[in-house]
Amino acid sequence: MTKFQRFLFKRLAVSILLTLVAVSIIFVVLRLLPGSPFEALVTSGNLNQEQIDEIRAMYGLDQSIGAQYVNYLTSLLTFQFGYSILRSQPVWDVLEPRLINSLILLVPALVTTAILSSALGMYAGWNRGSGLEKGSIISTTLLRSTPVFITAIFFIIVFAYNLEVVPALGMRSIRATPDGYLETFVSLDFLHHYVLPFTVAVLYYSGDFLLLARNGVVEKRGSEFLKLHRAKGLSEMEQLARAGRNSMLPILTYFTLRLGMIFQGLILLEVVFSWPGIGRELVLAIQQQDYPLVQAAVFIMALAVIIANLLADVLYAYFDPTVSTNGGSSA
Amino acid sequence: MTLLNVEDLKVTYATDDETVHAVNDVSFSIDEGVNYGLAGESGSGKSTVAEALLGLLPGNGTVEHGTIEFNGTDLTSLSAAERRDVLWEDIAYIPQSAMDSLDPVMSTGDQIAQAIHTHRNVTDAKARDRVRELFEIVGLDPDRIDDYPHEFSGGMRQRVTIAMALALEPDLIIADEPTTGLDVIVQDKIIDKILEIQERMDSSLLLITHEIGVIAETCDELSILYGGTVMEQGSVDNVLVNPTNPYTMGLKNSFPEIDEEDEDPVAIPGSPPNLNGEPTSCVFRDRCPFATDECATSHPDPVALPNRNHRSACHRVKEAAQMRQAADDPETWGIPDDGSADSDRGEIILETDGLKKHYEQSRSLLSKIRGEEPDYVKAVDGVSLSVRRSEILGVAGESGCGKSTLGETIALLEDPTDGELTFDGEPYEHYQNGNLQEFRRKVQIVFQDPFDSLNPRQTVRKLVGEPLTIHDYRTDETERAIVETLEKVGLTPAESFLDQYPHELSGGQRQRVAVAKALVLDPDFLICDEPASMLDVSLKVNLLNLLRGLADTEDIGIVYISHDLASLMQVSDRLAIMYLGRVIEKGEVDRIATQPKHPYTASLLSAAPEKDPTADRTRVLLDGEPPDPVDLPSGCAFAPRCPKARDACREAEPGIEETGDEGHRAACYFPERDDESTAADADGIDDGEVPASANADSVHD
Repeated sequence: MTKFQRFLFKRLAVSILLTLVAVSIIFVVLRLLPGSPFEALVTSGNLNQEQIDEIRAMYGLDQSIGAQYVNYLTSLLTFQFGYSILRSQPVWDVLEPRLINSLILLVPALVTTAILSSALGMYAGWNRGSGLEKGSIISTTLLRSTPVFITAIFFIIVFAYNLEVVPALGMRSIRATPDGYLETFVSLDFLHHYVLPFTVAVLYYSGDFLLLARNGVVEKRGSEFLKLHRAKGLSEMEQLARAGRNSMLPILTYFTLRLGMIFQGLILLEVVFSWPGIGRELVLAIQQQDYPLVQAAVFIMALAVIIANLLADVLYAYFDPTVSTNGGSSA
Repeated sequence: MTLLNVEDLKVTYATDDETVHAVNDVSFSIDEGVNYGLAGESGSGKSTVAEALLGLLPGNGTVEHGTIEFNGTDLTSLSAAERRDVLWEDIAYIPQSAMDSLDPVMSTGDQIAQAIHTHRNVTDAKARDRVRELFEIVGLDPDRIDDYPHEFSGGMRQRVTIAMALALEPDLIIADEPTTGLDVIVQDKIIDKILEIQERMDSSLLLITHEIGVIAETCDELSILYGGTVMEQGSVDNVLVNPTNPYTMGLKNSFPEIDEEDEDPVAIPGSPPNLNGEPTSCVFRDRCPFATDECATSHPDPVALPNRNHRSACHRVKEAAQMRQAADDPETWGIPDDGSADSDRGEIILETDGLKKHYEQSRSLLSKIRGEEPDYVKAVDGVSLSVRRSEILGVAGESGCGKSTLGETIALLEDPTDGELTFDGEPYEHYQNGNLQEFRRKVQIVFQDPFDSLNPRQTVRKLVGEPLTIHDYRTDETERAIVETLEKVGLTPAESFLDQYPHELSGGQRQRVAVAKALVLDPDFLICDEPASMLDVSLKVNLLNLLRGLADTEDIGIVYISHDLASLMQVSDRLAIMYLGRVIEKGEVDRIATQPKHPYTASLLSAAPEKDPTADRTRVLLDGEPPDPVDLPSGCAFAPRCPKARDACREAEPGIEETGDEGHRAACYFPERDDESTAADADGIDDGEVPASANADSVHD
């Protein structure tokens, strides 16, 4: 497997390089923004110049840009995200629960929809021209093209207000005071709140997977190797499985891409359901120019996307035997 | 005992506007242990018959009526599940295109094991043992069963599918064009393998192919299909030696043969019938020179000829003997016989001297930093050729020998790495330095695939006229230039083709448009890269005759690149045989055909199948595959596969000047002696005095 190791090594090196580039861009862009996090304090007139300088020095903002950059890099790469300027709390303490909340909602939703919609899409592609195919394409395209907050509001109206089967907002009942993640997430109350946003997220992601899987199978349907499989006496479902297996790559790409992007949360969904996720937090942080918080959040997101891409590459090599040899020699 | 009996089979395809009657009332039967051939051109319905037998018709295909009786049971009456049980267990299938008929993401061994597991309840270990055994039977390394299809060459992939077909020892193997797309030498080896195995397994074989030669050599009985109907059937000896149907006669005539250089193959004019309706007249009537009024009224039923295994569907079957005589004369088919007027060859128009084209292999960053020498693929490695006006130079070789790269380099589509290329008295640098436009006008190239090389959204008028606009040539009389050229390539009346799109044309017509596109600029030089490889025999001959005529009348030089030696022999004046980037033999066609000097040429010649079933041919089976062009062995590149190789061959490489005279040269230290009868002589292998290379005859069991 030396070839594979070399391939992996190369991809890792590329990923690290990409991460460095990404964090540098974050740094530069934030510094290019007009104003600073203390603008509000200054304009309020409550602070004199001396106090302002003192605060700036406390956060290291009086140093040269170069020194700030080196500082920033060393801290970031050792996962020290510093203090949030506005919340006066370590950044990680702010981010961690929000991130977990987002992930606990979106990862299961994404996995579920990837499996269900892909399977449905493959089946639809295999039975091309059937009612199932047409129906599934129309309904998922509709769900995909409707903004997610409309779908969400519609679901809230139907299931929360009219049918009153689930609560409309939040992650836990307001009276619950859980302690730690286990208590938070393993409870019927949480499940009760979870069902609706989960369903909306599943439906929102479903269209892409369904279409990708369907197109892949439609494309493979007439191919010679499936004819040979058929001649071998494989049943319809076994043939479909082979066709599906052969059209996995685009689905895999899309899945890992989405998986990386989940770390950004799904802002609209979080807002509608008042879900305390990372997306909402990020919007607030940017508005208030909370440098450390934004930097850390963007770093985590970039890292997630890069790791997801690395994962995609490795999975490619596993799922498509032609990749590892070709990919190893080029690039 | 009858194994398979097909009775009145009719298959139709439903398309958006109309129903295509692909197979119309076809009947034939195969006895146990018999090799049966199904021959026909594309669109004759031969593959549809196979698909109907296997129950693999695409969704829009239906068996309208007819029975397919296999071992006494009617396959058409079985349920889908029962049908699946018969598949592979009793009827196995060798698919057409080995290149893409294996599942790319499943190891080859697993694919075979899958066939075994589907029908038999065996353990994984047992299935794997069987796969190893099968790999050995078909001549593949049993340790490679975990390799994926892309790690095998085309010929080896076809061996995998053969191994798969043998897995359960079926009673009947259906092979649908098992060798199409493979090189002659590989084709010969595969056919030999199929026959050898089938002999041992004692199963029957249904061989579907357009190569009459392959059927003549391998089958006992055959049916000839045309337009979805059986034109003639019976024992191979009867049908091919004494055909009684005009179509069979035409088909047989249009096969170019290597050793008949005096007789030009005769093409069947016209193109295959439209199958949109139930045939009301004889399907061949439009192209048949013997058609009478009777032929217009009904399609003839097959008539059994007395006292022999032979049936023919022709209204005039009683006059077969006269027709046979008339069919040999090209004028019968409406083709003027201008004789093989050998025109005088003009001055040299293109000359190469030691022409090279090397491709650098991609290297890792590390070795680039270290400054390591990159590896090169020597696609063209020192080729010296010359072409005169009015001359056709044939370039032959297996796939991967660099013949297409040679064509592209001569056309300056690729930059030569080294060597000289002189065109019309000027070195190629002259053209590259600002005169490329002129060069592009004078040198034209016709590509292999007429389906891909024409823009599907342009009419014939635009396609052929485009070069005129680009080169600002005859722009004041564009229309006339287009019409003239179309007529020159035989698309008459030209006006009716002007507004057609490529998809409305047949394959042969499309390739003619491609040739017209090249000719419209009145070039001095034409490079044809396998222009006929996608065409049916009767159309192929048309194209060859067209090129021959152009060379004779238009005063242009032509390089014709192909792997099909028979058609090269027919069309060329001189021939150059390539092997791994080098020309190993060149000379006048008839001298190469009768007395090949290089052992590789000899084996190429002997690999071509013979259409006459009575002729005996000795196979010279070359072992192995061409070596990796990056890492060539020292000495003669052919030595590892050469039956005559000696130590001297492995030490130094013979030059083309090694042997022969002006008219015929070969790069070999030990050329075939002139007194040795013909190329087909296999003596070289058994010759005790010559130490054959270690594995030279492992192909023979």
